[in-house]
Amino acid sequence: MMKQLTVVCEDRPNLIAELIEAVASSGANLETLDSQSIAGTVVAILTVDRYDVALQALARAGLPAVSEEAILVNLEDRPGALAAIAHRFREAGIPLRSVRILRRAEGLGLVALSTPRTAEALALVSDVLIA
Amino acid sequence: MMVSDARQPVLAQSVRERLDSLERRLETETGHFLGYPCTAEFDYSPLYRFLRFPINNVGDPFVPSNYHINTHDFEREVLAEFMRLTAAPAGQAWGYVTNGGTEGNMYGIFLGRELYPDGVVYYSEETHYSVSKILRALHVRSIMIKSRPDGRIDLEDLAATIGIHRDVPPIIVANIGTTMKGAIDDLTGIRTILRELAIPRHYIHADAALHGMILPFVNDPQPWNFDAGIDSIAISGHKFIGSPMPCGVVVARKGNVDRIARHIEYVGTLDTTLSGSRNALSPLFLWYALHAVGLDTFRLRAERCLETADYAIERLEPLGVHPWRHRNSPIVVFDRPDDPSLTSRWQLAVNGPITHLITMPHVTRERIDALAEDLAASLAVDVEEARS
Repeated sequence: MMKQLTVVCEDRPNLIAELIEAVASSGANLETLDSQSIAGTVVAILTVDRYDVALQALARAGLPAVSEEAILVNLEDRPGALAAIAHRFREAGIPLRSVRILRRAEGLGLVALSTPRTAEALALVSDVLIA
Repeated sequence: MMVSDARQPVLAQSVRERLDSLERRLETETGHFLGYPCTAEFDYSPLYRFLRFPINNVGDPFVPSNYHINTHDFEREVLAEFMRLTAAPAGQAWGYVTNGGTEGNMYGIFLGRELYPDGVVYYSEETHYSVSKILRALHVRSIMIKSRPDGRIDLEDLAATIGIHRDVPPIIVANIGTTMKGAIDDLTGIRTILRELAIPRHYIHADAALHGMILPFVNDPQPWNFDAGIDSIAISGHKFIGSPMPCGVVVARKGNVDRIARHIEYVGTLDTTLSGSRNALSPLFLWYALHAVGLDTFRLRAERCLETADYAIERLEPLGVHPWRHRNSPIVVFDRPDDPSLTSRWQLAVNGPITHLITMPHVTRERIDALAEDLAASLAVDVEEARS
């Protein structure tokens, strides 16, 4: 069964090639790869057949990945932006398990949200959702 | 390996060579140890005789244990000193010697979580990565707050985020010296936010891994200890004091600790510590350092470290790498060199566009000079010309 991984890191030359090579060297099959650059940060979404070995290979290659349970949103880098997102969850009665800033650059912040009610949360943040 | 008796094994040549090789490598690497906050300046040889005992500090250091081969009495004296250094309320504090800063932070967050099971942990993005692991291990709800460019927690962001959950007790992990920039979170500002938002149920844990052994010895410390309203603090022992094994100290308000005590019958001790079996040598090593080196010498070392940090800034400034440091911190931040062999040779930690060196007690001006020359060579800058 295919599983999704998302790599978030600073954009640099040959990054996608490094990423493909890392997964290939792990023995996992890379089914799909979709990447976008946001304010100097690359967000690459992969689907692989062997989740754990791919995750380990990416980590060894210095390509930090977040799991498919994490919801990635793109926020303005200004005081209170995070609080506004927290407020939405509060109003909707959806508990937030964790909020983690992955990267901040060029006025934008990439934030990983985790909640036990992922499907509802995705709808709640659809306007700022990445991919 | 051939064994003649339990104490004096006769080593095969290959084993001896392997150990000799390790010793040479460690000596070489210690000579280029600039980027991590551990001092290499210590001598514990008078304690080597205690390595032959199966000592174990299992359990609470303040409660008698059925396992008598321990150093609990030395551990209590170490803790008493750290309680004084952190201005813990007399007779109302508790602690133990940990395996390092991470265990101390885990203990502090654990206490906060036990006191406020519905609480949310707030911590800044410059917080040590181990805190993320702890939060996952303890399954605590958490919100990461932005850091300011200088590394301190963004109080505006913190206030706005806590304000959304005013009915949920905040458990705040405050950095008393961030890993990368040596930034000390504004505890006065944090407490002002809690007061203005009228949140009486809160917990503040201080991660003072390195700076917890520097701030007691400076004349104008930023608010950092129990006087500044913290509930617990973790300080590393192997960083500023120095030790061949990682270790640390956690100190907390005793009233909070008593709530999580659990009785373990078979060792006849109270299970207040996170670990069961605990290192009994590290309390002994810390006790020895506090007595053999002494607080006056640690004060002098702290002063010398900060002077060396200023010297490093003076040497790096002409190279155009923008060195700076926070007040009372030996962490000198500067532009990350392009040459990866340089960061590897000097064991400089890097983070995005910056790197840092840390003027621990073993770091001399000569080593700073050598780094500056290496850096100048990689930047193709004439050192003498740059200095003049």
